[in-house]
Amino acid sequence: MTGATGTRSKPLGRTIGHVGLALTLAFAGLALGAGYWQVLRSPELTRAPDNPAVIAAARNVVRGPIVDRDGKVLASNRRNPDTGEPYRVYPHRAFSTVIGYASQDFGNAGLERSWNAELTGLSGGDAIGDLLRKFQADPYDPRKLTLGLSTALQRAAVAGLGDDRGAVVMLDPATGEVLALASTPTYDSSAIANPTTSRDAFAAVRDSAAKPLLTRATQGRYVPGSVFKIVTAIAGLGSGRITPSTTFPQQPRAERDGLLVSGFRVREHPGVPAETFDLADATEWSSNIWYALAGLRTGGDNLAAFAGRMGFGSQLAFDLPTVASQVTNGDGNEPGGFTDDVELANASYGQAETVVTPLQMALVAATVANDGALMRPHLVIATAGRDGSRSIAPEQAGVVFSPDDAAALTEAMRRAVESDIGRQFTSGADVPGIAVAGKSGTAELGGTGAPHSWFIGFAPVDQPRVAIAVIVERGGRGGARAAPLAGDLLALYFQTFGR
Amino acid sequence: MDPFLVTVWVVRLLFLGLLYLFLFRIARALVGDLRAAAREPGAELGRLVVVASPGGEPVEGSSLPLDAIATIGRDVNNAIVVDDQFVSAEHAILTFRGRAWYAEDLGSTNGTFVNGAPVEGVVPLGFGDVVQVGQVKLRLERPRPPTRR
Amino acid sequence: MTAAAAPRLPAILGTIRPRPRGRETRLLLLVGLTILVGSVSLELAGRVTDPGESAGLSPANPTHLAIYLGLIALAHVALILSGRRVDQILLPATAMLGGISLLLMERLPQSQVVQTVGPWKLGLGDIQLAWLVLSFGLATVLAITVRNDRWLRLYKYTWAAAGVALLLATYLLGDDINGQRLSLSLGPISGQPAELLKVILVVFLAGYLSEYRPLLVEESTKVGPISLPPVPFLAPMAAMWAIALGLVVVQRDLGAALLFFTVFLFLLYAATGRLGYVVLGVLLFLAGSWVMYHLVHTVQTRVDIWLDPFASPTGDGYQIVQALYAFARGGLLGTGLGAGLPTVGGRLPIPAVHTDFPLAALGEELGMVGVMAILGLFLVVVERGLRIAASAADEFRALLAAGLALVIGTQALIIVAGNLKLIPLTGITLPFVSYGGSSLLVNGIIVGLLLALSDRGVEPPPPPRQPSRFARLTGRVTRPETPAAARAPLPPAAPLQPGGTEG
Repeated sequence: MTGATGTRSKPLGRTIGHVGLALTLAFAGLALGAGYWQVLRSPELTRAPDNPAVIAAARNVVRGPIVDRDGKVLASNRRNPDTGEPYRVYPHRAFSTVIGYASQDFGNAGLERSWNAELTGLSGGDAIGDLLRKFQADPYDPRKLTLGLSTALQRAAVAGLGDDRGAVVMLDPATGEVLALASTPTYDSSAIANPTTSRDAFAAVRDSAAKPLLTRATQGRYVPGSVFKIVTAIAGLGSGRITPSTTFPQQPRAERDGLLVSGFRVREHPGVPAETFDLADATEWSSNIWYALAGLRTGGDNLAAFAGRMGFGSQLAFDLPTVASQVTNGDGNEPGGFTDDVELANASYGQAETVVTPLQMALVAATVANDGALMRPHLVIATAGRDGSRSIAPEQAGVVFSPDDAAALTEAMRRAVESDIGRQFTSGADVPGIAVAGKSGTAELGGTGAPHSWFIGFAPVDQPRVAIAVIVERGGRGGARAAPLAGDLLALYFQTFGR
Repeated sequence: MDPFLVTVWVVRLLFLGLLYLFLFRIARALVGDLRAAAREPGAELGRLVVVASPGGEPVEGSSLPLDAIATIGRDVNNAIVVDDQFVSAEHAILTFRGRAWYAEDLGSTNGTFVNGAPVEGVVPLGFGDVVQVGQVKLRLERPRPPTRR
Repeated sequence: MTAAAAPRLPAILGTIRPRPRGRETRLLLLVGLTILVGSVSLELAGRVTDPGESAGLSPANPTHLAIYLGLIALAHVALILSGRRVDQILLPATAMLGGISLLLMERLPQSQVVQTVGPWKLGLGDIQLAWLVLSFGLATVLAITVRNDRWLRLYKYTWAAAGVALLLATYLLGDDINGQRLSLSLGPISGQPAELLKVILVVFLAGYLSEYRPLLVEESTKVGPISLPPVPFLAPMAAMWAIALGLVVVQRDLGAALLFFTVFLFLLYAATGRLGYVVLGVLLFLAGSWVMYHLVHTVQTRVDIWLDPFASPTGDGYQIVQALYAFARGGLLGTGLGAGLPTVGGRLPIPAVHTDFPLAALGEELGMVGVMAILGLFLVVVERGLRIAASAADEFRALLAAGLALVIGTQALIIVAGNLKLIPLTGITLPFVSYGGSSLLVNGIIVGLLLALSDRGVEPPPPPRQPSRFARLTGRVTRPETPAAARAPLPPAAPLQPGGTEG
């Protein structure tokens, strides 16, 4: 550049060089930005549910089939002749509350939703895997889900519930595999999945007062009634406050006049003799008084703690969304969150603020059946894809109480079903030739109307293979609906799977 | 691995590869340019050889390198400072335009002469021509060939 | 030797004295090959896709590519024949960008833009091809015919006035689209004059800054400890700031305002070398932005979307969210030309992808590797422009070339940063790649001018100019070249004695 200007300034060439450098640095920043979005955040964004690739995949990918434990198809695909797009078909209405639906217009529900990624086989989210996948003709790997459910049991459960609303949960206490998860009313999930009928079907279901979209087995919240006594027993035995031979001297009088707890009179249901009971007697007779006393002796903190070990107070980890069961609202200042002894006494026999889900109660029965150890419940027992089959292993959720105590409680529950006394309350729950243990429940709801009919139990008593929980909403006494239904289902179980 | 898909991907990668080959070729050319520019600092466009300089400034016989624009005059801010009482403060300007040199008088008192002829307007210069301002004579010569490092 | 008249310029095209341009030839061959391979890739992608997914893909049109590559070849031949020694890298680099743009516009559904001209129905690819042809044609014509810059250099205030008039005309007469008046229509053709304004601005600035360069460097007005540019100069600077703000407030054209201001600051630094001015400018910009954020609703929306687009993924933030998804889907190597952009209900996922987000589409289909290559191409164009500036014969040309290069580079910078959520999104186009006639034309003009300026045999600069009346009146400057001459007046040259010259 010329020196004729005589300026002291930086020569033009140098300043232009600086400008070029600044621009180059800025472009380097752009490159970093591109790297951030295209490499760093890529796995997360490519799986976002509103990412059009995900939506497009969902529309066009043939979802993996869902089968029951015997391989019977529960969900398959058919192609729309007009658009060529696949849609779901469900042969059995009984499974609608479990499997849910996959609809292009209304999204996914149930297992179709919670296992959506596996059923559609979207990207695994790792860069190398995605890279290799580019060379495969069909980049998606939809997986087949094998459920632990048994079609025979499920359909029988739904049929047994009939027009009543309610739920049945049957599971294997040793592995946690769920054999039946029935909720009524069911709905026509195929109609929702089929694009031509989906709109009307969904409107009908959504507007129905019976709320069929609510999976009662996992999300129904019910007053448990006497089935909750098992929880109290577990807490009492587990904490050592109660033994199988514990008796309360004040019981005979209380049976007659009612048990006075801080000014509140706990009354027994009619027919219970004014005698002292031990654990087994009390369970046989379903004695509110004994259990109230047992609960008071166990203490609210123990009750809450042992219930918590079985899953109370939090949403159970499960293949479907669940709702927490509770022993109390927790807004009291007494140990365990109880307001006072009155509440504790009432909670001990399944009233007051206790609210449970059928799945939770099935887990209670399974805990007792499995020598005091709780196994994590799961619906899906295996998945299969291009790389072969992968089974979901049983997983222990925790040890709740000792095997000896469990044995004692098992014996108590066996008498509740098998003995003449117990039969008064649990009529129909027994199965000829199989020793069944269980407990019925009649959940008073206050006001007019029938109480909920409950039954929980397991069989056979030696080496239990199945645990069950049944609730029939407004079904009357435990022995009226729930217990006989449980008996039928247990019988069917042994018929299907052998003694 | 589906062979058709592999082919498609080979083509796709080839496209990206060609893009980068293109950039690489350009980068090579740019670097070459930079090196060439660094090798010839201040390539000259011409020189002025001082044929006569009674005032001593510039030194007689010396050879002055020229930029594209060179002003001649008595003022110290000129590219070529001439100490001669007959030279104005800003006397003449030599410019290299396109491919040739040109001389122009800047309104000096005594005028500028090329090979004895007075300069009117813009006058082309050839190598070997002598420019006279006042009593100083300067001859335009070809630039020295660039020295190799 | 008699004083010959100044050499007469030959006829407008010059005598045909062909000069080989080997480097350009080799690079252009590579461009052609790359674009051909790209079109093959596009064709194959059409065969891979399921019928259900191909709503968003249209096949490559070989005629279009032939026309485009043929035009580039013609331009190359024209440059060879003209014998001008202009830069050999600019044309290949921009041709590559244009080719990528054409491939993209071919690949997108042609129904994005439809114009009926007479009996023909033109789609996206057709129109973009037409504009590319015009743009490169114009660039070539300028490269060959522009031989002197008097028309740019001498009339800078006229240019400035023309720019302001254009701005006003657009505001008063322009078509109202989405509350912005950015286009002027003349019959079937509509354009965005703001694009041309960029070039006019650079011409004005180059002239202004080159003329007052010593003034700006030497003098400054001191306000306390801060030294500002000298007061007479402050007026244009304030005018710049006012124009930028005006564009934002009135036209809501954030991108243009940002672009003008950034280019201005860059050129100011290039001319003066004083970092202080730049810092001052940045502070003013930040202050203005802060005020703008609180005053203008659209600015606020844009900034909020920028900060957290995922907060409203179906509302305001939809466009940028979809763009980010596209980048993410691309990953390292991309999905391949034609295999990206999964359609939702038959429509492309990113709204206005051909104008606002071509880089997102390319990022998805060519991956990060492709994006870096495109950024590299822009850097090459900027580098060449700055090189041309650095080796220009005088300051005006240097600043003009630098300014033109900066316009392209800064525009690319702003829009790519917006696409990548590094700064709020603005509505400007990506040079040579976005769909848009005015943008292509103006970028063609820029490239043509840069090529013309790069001729190493261009007409010499005019003799040193007399300083403006204004400067002489204020007495601050005598002659820009020799400011010290006024300080020590020398005695006048003694008149020659007769016969004293010989000897």
